[in-house]
Formats: sequence, structure tokens, C-alpha cells
Amino acid sequence: MILSLLFFTFSLAFYCITAVFYILYWLFKKRWIGQIATSMAYIALLSTTMILITRAGESGHAPFSNLYESMILFVWITNIGYLIMEHKYRYRVMGAFVMIIEVIAMLSTSLLPYRFKSVEPLNPALQSKWKWLVSLLEPVGMEKYAIGWLDFHVFTTFVGYAAFAISFGLSIMYLIKSRYESDGIRNILVERFPDSRILDELSYKSIAWGFPFLAVGIVSGAIWANNTWGAYWSWDPKETWSLITWFVYAAYLHARITRGWSGKRAAYLSIVGFLCVIFLYWGVSFILPGLHAYA
Amino acid sequence: MADRVGEVSVDVEGRWYRAIGSRIWALFNSLKLTIFVLISLALVSIIGTVIQQNQPVETYLSEYGERWTRIIFLLRLNDMYHSWWFLLLLTLLVLNVVVCTIERFPPKWKALLKENKGTAKPEIIERLSNKDVFTVDAQPAEVKARLLGIFKKRRYRVRTFEEKDGVSIYAWKGISGRFGADVTHVSLLVILLGAIIGNIYGYNDFRIVYEGGSMSVPQADFQLRLDRFWIDYYDTGQIKQYNSLLTVIEDGKEVFKKHIWVNEPLLYKGIRFYQSSYGMAWDRVKEAQVALKRKDREELDPPVTIKWGELKKIPDSEYSVRIVGYVADFAFDERTKTVFSKSADANNPALKVEVYRGDELVSTPWLFFKYPGLFSTIPDSGDDIVFTAFRPTLFSGISINKDPGTNIVWLGTGIMGLGFILAFFVHHRRVWVSVRDARNSSEIRIGGTVNKDRFTFEREFEELLKEIKATLPATGKGEVGR
Ligand code: HEM
Repeated sequence: MILSLLFFTFSLAFYCITAVFYILYWLFKKRWIGQIATSMAYIALLSTTMILITRAGESGHAPFSNLYESMILFVWITNIGYLIMEHKYRYRVMGAFVMIIEVIAMLSTSLLPYRFKSVEPLNPALQSKWKWLVSLLEPVGMEKYAIGWLDFHVFTTFVGYAAFAISFGLSIMYLIKSRYESDGIRNILVERFPDSRILDELSYKSIAWGFPFLAVGIVSGAIWANNTWGAYWSWDPKETWSLITWFVYAAYLHARITRGWSGKRAAYLSIVGFLCVIFLYWGVSFILPGLHAYA
Repeated sequence: MADRVGEVSVDVEGRWYRAIGSRIWALFNSLKLTIFVLISLALVSIIGTVIQQNQPVETYLSEYGERWTRIIFLLRLNDMYHSWWFLLLLTLLVLNVVVCTIERFPPKWKALLKENKGTAKPEIIERLSNKDVFTVDAQPAEVKARLLGIFKKRRYRVRTFEEKDGVSIYAWKGISGRFGADVTHVSLLVILLGAIIGNIYGYNDFRIVYEGGSMSVPQADFQLRLDRFWIDYYDTGQIKQYNSLLTVIEDGKEVFKKHIWVNEPLLYKGIRFYQSSYGMAWDRVKEAQVALKRKDREELDPPVTIKWGELKKIPDSEYSVRIVGYVADFAFDERTKTVFSKSADANNPALKVEVYRGDELVSTPWLFFKYPGLFSTIPDSGDDIVFTAFRPTLFSGISINKDPGTNIVWLGTGIMGLGFILAFFVHHRRVWVSVRDARNSSEIRIGGTVNKDRFTFEREFEELLKEIKATLPATGKGEVGR
């Protein structure tokens, strides 16, 4: 546990530095600052990867089994998603917004009580390794690396969360940008944002990844629940909130293709959607009792 | 695609009911209704996560008081996912999807079929956001051959139209992406259908079975026997897994055995059996230990282990003992003069035994685990039987679930997956090229469009142009264009 906590501390520092450089880039628009920011994002990614690896080594299972581990997974996927987007579209200013989200996520993870950080063996319901995979890996003596519904379910859900987080950042930028555009006010910092049309498109693209992944997450959860609790759907608070979130994003998708609802209202829906994600993820875990241990 | 509410004309000449009918139709054809329904479903579902569902009245009374409990029951907030108004919202959703699909799918289908027959009119190309006009050093026929090669390499499907002064090409790919939304919507209906079937024909139940005991299965003609229940532990002592070994018995014959655990149910004839809980029996034990205390000695004789129901001789004595009863939490009802267990927990375990001297039954005392020697157990002898240990009979709690709609739901989710792939990852790209003969050279007018993801397409279109210009040198530039 020492090692993974050490990497956690490093990563927290790296994300703070990364965010600072992206913000500096936004303020001063110097190419070299942007390059440092991107390099720092890669270093932070590497360090987060190390947390996950050491954590898996310490606990003996994929590091997705409690709130602490899943937060790191979230930060990790969000970073990857952002870097792919930066690589493809080359708008570094967006990094400032995404990395602030990453810093907030890391800080809130570090504030979690100790019982969430400690390494725990899996309780009975969480043992869900795929038998076909176990039997495939057994001849080569690697069956302990087999994964199952837990890992699949958490991973796909978190790809969804990460995509929604990125879209949230972009939607905020969109709202700021479109306000300035429509009022005709000039502001040098806002002018550095990509075009509102581009922000809208990228925000949609992000949700176009997040939405099906959340769906796969919900369905894999249903398959797993069907094996564990005896029903694929039992309106457990976590299940219900994931559906609520999913409906909000479905509304977003339909708003985007509806005259009078695309643009700003769609962006607000994306923000509401991410607030739902936060509640689904943290709120439900701490406030509403249910069958889900976390996540 | 723009919302079409405004375009549905109300039939003013028709009778009033037709006017109303088309208004209703227009309402259900609206995407604003879709947004409304989706947001409403999201909002009301929140209530169900805040107010606990399907609890006994007392829970609500103690939590919300009488007035609010009345309101909760009136609005069915205690079982809201089955309340009429929740089902109404789902019905609106279904009608909305069906009407939108009926209105939009056929015209879309026809338009897309017809499109393949259209020619690349210069006016169409003028209207596109990705376009270019340039002249190349080649005859239209050669240009056509080169272009077809390029499109083929890029996996476009192509249609060409020979014309008087040149040739037109229409190239497209990813047309199936246009139907992603429709496939998704159909999948939604399939999932709901599966859920409805499950609600009507399925059931949930719960049974406990003792080790060695069997249980009958509701609405089925077979039985289940629990051969063994056990718990696995981690080295640290934390529980790792609960396990039951079950045997299916049909017509008195063992059909098959299966080891179930949390996450691994038994499925037989469409009914699933889940490991759900476990516990110790309150009215029986697997075996118990008793020891003889002789009247003239302080310490006990070595204890003897006796199985439930078995008659066992106590070594070096004239006594035999048989276990005939057990309660986990002994209590005595003065009124009915019966023994019962106050709870299911082993707070005051007591064992009822028959004591024989030789062949003669001399007493049937209760032995108390916590209070040895409370009553004299063998009258007129001074000897005593003491209850020293027991091995509880475990029972396994098995959830039983039958849901014939499950497979339909899985089918629906599969279709939804396909729909998502089509809707989000397959984009309908279209390129029109008009090649005009310009005396020893050709004028190429090219334009392209995509239904989504414009950025990626813009880049693709740039690359396409670059490749065309590289293969077909522009006039006057010779090979420089490379
Ligand atoms: C109230 C019921 C609904 C109605 C009337 C409705 C209607 C529509 C319409 C008319 C479109 C545009 C069709 C097109 O582009 O050809 C659409 C797109 C779509 N709908 Fe629905 N829809 C409903 C509910 C849902 C739900 C619950 C989902 C979630 C699974 C969903 C998923 C989608 C998707 C993924 C698209 C494509 C969006 C895009 O390409 O950006 N729809 N819907």
C-alpha cells in the first residue's frame, strides 16, 4: 500500500502542475508553455498508471473495487480521453478546464477517509470472474489475472463518466464563449477558446462516446445483477440514478437535433447530466442506502 | 434533423375528431415531447431513490408521520415504479417513439434510396460546405477511371452517370449510420416488451433449506435438495464466499447437482436459484456433545458426540442418550406449557434428550448449554448429563426467480448496441463529382457532406482532394502538383 499511496501523492502534485501550466498557456498563449503542459499531462498519466498497477499488485485484483480505486480510474481515463482529443484537434485551451476537473477529483480522493484507501479483499458478490477466461488462462498459470463482470462493469461505466466530465468542461466553455459571441463583447481570454461551433461539436462527440459506454455499463451491471441478486433490475438507488443520468443525456442528444433546443439548452443539459454523474457517483454512495457498495 | 411539429398540417376540412386526432398525432410527433418525457422520467425517478420503496406501512409512519404517509400511499410513492403515472410516462415514451418512427422512417428510407439515382448537379455541389473546383490535364474518361480507383480504395460505393459533356459521380459510404437512431428506438421497445413479459409471467420467491433437506419449487414439478452449505474464508478471516451444493430431484430421481455461490446461480427449466443468505437452524442441530457427570466425581467424563436422532451409548456406563429436540433461544410459555424459541439466535441453546438406562427410558430432560446442572436430569441417581457442545445445522437461503422476459431484454440490449454503433460511429459520407470536358482537359467540381462529425470529414475531404490532385496533375503545372 505504501507504494501506491506514494504514487498517489506524486500524481496529485503532477496534476496540480499540469493544470497550472495549461492555465498559464491559456493566459499567455506561449507555444512552449503549451508543450510543457502537454508533457506534464503525459507524466501525470504515467504516474496515475503506476498507482493502478501498484494497487493491483497490492490487492491481487483489478483496482476497481472501491471508491478510492475507482476515482483513480476516473482520473486516468479522463486524462487519456483528453490527450486523445488534444492530439486529434489541437486545442490546448480546453486542457485548462479538463485539468481543473482532474485536480478537483484528485483532491477529493485524497480527502477520503482511510477506510476507503485501504486494500480490501473482494466480498462474495464482487467475485465474478468470467469462467471462460479463467479456463483459458488456467493452462498457462495466469488464472489469477482473469477479469469478470465487476471489472468490465466498472471500467465501461467509468469511460462514460470520463467522457461526460470532458463534455462538462467543454459545455461550460461553450456557454461562456457563446455569450461573448452573441453579445459581441471582446475578451482576449475568451477569444482564445475554440469557436463555439467547435466546442459544441466536441462536447457532443464526447457524449457520443460517454452515452453508449454508460449504456454498456448499465447493461453489464444488469447482467451481473441477474447473476447475483436474482433480477436484472431492482430499482436500487444506484441503478436508478444511472438511468436518470442516462435519460438526461438522451434528452441532450434529442435536444441537439431539435430546433430551438440545440446550442445553449443542450449545453445546460450536458452540465445537468454531469451533476447527475457526480451525484450518482458520490451522492448515492454516501447518502442513499442500497445494494451497491460504491461507484 | 429539424423538429417537424410545425409541418404537420391540421386537417381543417375534416371533422372535428380528425382535427383533434391530427393534433394529437402532431404532439406525439414532437421531439420536444421526447425531451419532456425523458426529463420527467429522470425527475420522478429521483423520488423513488429518496423515498424507500416497498416497505411496510410502519416504516413510512415512523419516518414521515401520518399525514405524509397518507400522501405517499395516495400517490403510490411507496411503489412508484409500478404506479399508474409512471407507467403513463412510459406509455407516452412508447407512443412518442412509435409515432416519430412512423413519420420519419419511410420518408428517410425513400429519400436515401432515391438519392443513389441522382446526378451530381453543379447546384448541389455549390451548396455544400466542403467543395472545390479545379482543372486537370486529362480526358473525362481517364479522370473517371482514376476517381473510381480512389473511391474504391477508400471503400466508397459509387454510381456514375455518363452525360453529353462529361461524367458525374456520386460516391457514398456509411449509409447504415442513418438508421442508428431507428434501430436504437426499436431496441427500446424490445427491452420494454421483455420487462412487461417478465412482470406478467415471472415471479420472485425465497426459501430456506436445511442441509440434507429439500424444498419444493413454486409453479414447477421438481424439487431441490441442499446437500451441503459452507463458507470460504480469506486467510485474514474475512468471508470470501457462500456456497451451496444443490441437487435437482425430478420424479424422485436425481437429475443433476450444482455448486452455487453468490454470482453463480443454478438454472433449471427457466427458473434460477441464487445463493442469497444463510443461517443456523433454530430448531435442530447437526450433532451435539454431551458428557456424563457422575455423582461421586467433580470432573466430567469424556464427552460423547451424538448425531441428531441417533441413540448412542455412553461408554463405561449403563446410559444411552438420543437427541430429540433443540431450540436456539429457550423459552417456556406458561399458558400453553410449550417450549419455544424466543429468537433465531443461539442465545440460550437447549437440547432435549431421551435418557435410557439399559433399555428403559428414564427421563426426557432439557439440557441447557449455558446452565449445566440447572435441573437434575436423571432422577433417583445423582448422575447428570451435561450439554457441552453442538454443531449447528446450517440452512441456506435461496432466492428463486423466474423471468421469461430476460432473454428478450438481452436481445433488446444487443439491438441497442448495434443501434449505438450505427448512430455514433458510422457516419454517412457523401461526395459528388462533376467532370466536364474542357478541351483536352477536364474541369472537376467536387463537393462532399457528412451527417455528423464534420471535423473528421473535413480532414478526410482535404486528403481526398490532395490525392485526386496528386494523381491527376492540374493543367499547366505538369508533374509539379505531386
Ligand atoms: C420519447 C421517445 C423518443 C423519441 C420520440 C425519439 C425520437 C428521436 C428522433 C426523431 C431522432 C432523430 C432521428 C434521426 O436522426 O434519424 C432520435 C435520435 C436518437 N435517439 Fe431518440 N427518441 C426517443 C427516445 C430515445 C431514447 C430513450 C433513447 C436512448 C436509448 C434514444 C436514442 C436516440 C439516439 C442515440 C439518437 C441518435 C442521436 C444522434 O445521432 O445524435 N431515443 N430520437
